[in-house]
Amino acid sequence: MTEVVDILRFAAPIGLAATGETIGQKAGVLNVGLEGMMLAGSYAAVIASGASGNPWLGFGAGMVAGAALGLVQALFTLKLAADQVVAGTAVNLLAMGLTSALFRLQFGTSGKLLSVPTLPKFAGGLDLVLIGGLLAAAAGAWVLAKTKFGLALRACGEYPSAAQAAGFSVTKIRLIAALAGAIAAGAAGAYLSLGISGSFAENMTAGRGFIALAMVTFGRWRPVWVAVATLFVGAADWAQFSVWAQNPALPPQAWRALPYVLALVVLVCAGRGVAAPAALAAPFQEEA
Amino acid sequence: MADNKGAEPAKPAPVKTTLKVALLTPGPVSDSGWSALAYDGLKAIESDLKAEVGNQEAKDAQIKDSMRSYAQKGYNLVFGHGFEYNEPAIDVAKEFPNTVFVSSSGGKTAANVGAFRFALEEGFYLAGITAGELSKTHKVAMIGGPDVPSIRSTFKAFAAGAKSVNPDIEVIEKFTMDGQDVAKAKQATLAAIDQGADLVIHQANAAAQGVFDACKEKGVLAFGANLNQNDNPSGVVLASAVIVAKPAFIELAKRVQAGTYRGEITTAGMTEGAIMFTFNPKLADKVSPDIRKKIDIASLSIINKALKVPMDSF
Repeated sequence: MTEVVDILRFAAPIGLAATGETIGQKAGVLNVGLEGMMLAGSYAAVIASGASGNPWLGFGAGMVAGAALGLVQALFTLKLAADQVVAGTAVNLLAMGLTSALFRLQFGTSGKLLSVPTLPKFAGGLDLVLIGGLLAAAAGAWVLAKTKFGLALRACGEYPSAAQAAGFSVTKIRLIAALAGAIAAGAAGAYLSLGISGSFAENMTAGRGFIALAMVTFGRWRPVWVAVATLFVGAADWAQFSVWAQNPALPPQAWRALPYVLALVVLVCAGRGVAAPAALAAPFQEEA
Repeated sequence: MADNKGAEPAKPAPVKTTLKVALLTPGPVSDSGWSALAYDGLKAIESDLKAEVGNQEAKDAQIKDSMRSYAQKGYNLVFGHGFEYNEPAIDVAKEFPNTVFVSSSGGKTAANVGAFRFALEEGFYLAGITAGELSKTHKVAMIGGPDVPSIRSTFKAFAAGAKSVNPDIEVIEKFTMDGQDVAKAKQATLAAIDQGADLVIHQANAAAQGVFDACKEKGVLAFGANLNQNDNPSGVVLASAVIVAKPAFIELAKRVQAGTYRGEITTAGMTEGAIMFTFNPKLADKVSPDIRKKIDIASLSIINKALKVPMDSF
């Protein structure tokens, strides 16, 4: 049982971000700035938790930081119809530079090891974010698949002109989807720093945002498959430290590559006939 | 070059204008560890020698570019903080005979290229003895960031120290593969403790808090590394293996300034006062006088060079 919780905890930051990103991509918004939003979430969460002594306030601050960067990115991609890859890359660079600069400004150029209050755990190791995250992912999948809003959202990703003709505002729906993704990314970063680490280091997300992007593709834009792909990664990360690390003959690099190999195999066998949203990353300007 | 006699290659001349010193680090200088201590050394050069200083994070393909750009701007000393800067320095140094390139460890030299190495292994060896004496489970752990030869070498010294007093001890080794990943540092440490380790040493730099907090959560003790981390808020740091970098950095810069630097490979350890192993006075009751005596004797033997701590060359 503790193993299952451990694997969930390893998978959670990537899983939260990937679930949010699935919603965004379904609406046609590609969020390359995911890594930066996670990092901003990690930083804001640690600062707020450290200053207030309340980890939940920190967690909220992490989500706000993700949302703030999400709004900046949406301004460029949705309102000004800028290239989504370029805008996302700019957001990543902004978040990396900003968090590093603020960290050094506050704690000195040679840094400081921070220790802040972490999120409380129930017996068995579960916590509210793990449970809430699973419920939110399930709810998101249900909204996407079963509701009128979900249908309109998917239409924005497949054929936005049709969504507009049916009376929906493509920009508004895409904004909602992008913000949901940004808030999830902020929460993912906050969970990384407050649910697991209890500390911050420059660039501590270490590529998890990019892995989350890959998980959406591996999961073929289906929330449940995305969750399964993320669990593969979490399980391999966990195993790297807990099972195979006792055998020094096996290089850790091999275990890091394993989930991607597995996901690739799954993709080749089961992913045929499932394509990316047709209007993914394509700007849409509403006609007046 | 009037003083260039025979086949002896040209050597950098004394610096008559303001000394300019650059530092290249493999990670952010805010890492509270390896890169931070070099940055503090650089700032000491700036204030003590009134030097102009610059620093940059540079790895892999960026290394040569950074070296060239500092040399072109007339920097007298370019210090690369890691063995990986040694070979690029050999190439770049040929184009800039008036700039001295020094790396932290590495095996190659030229007239204006050298290396000096902090023998952190000595501090890790003493931590190993302490861990070997104190472990009740006969298992200790080492948590590393990136899997690089310099970190592996310190871990070997820790294992050798532990085995010197407790031949049956099991040494668990885990690498997170990323110096900044606090979450993985914590998770790797938790896994090591679950496997029975009751003393943990790290080479995790900025991610070290993850190691300490995991130890606190599970009620085991840890060792600090690179800097003196005894006063970490976790309260679990029993002792630290410390690099005292400032005097070595200032000495190097002075020699470059005076024009007396000759490309060479040197090692600075406990004998030179560059490495220290310091117990945390707040946890003094955890270490018996007997163990302290053993550490004192081993320290003296290292300083007198009677005891040779294993060190990989790379």
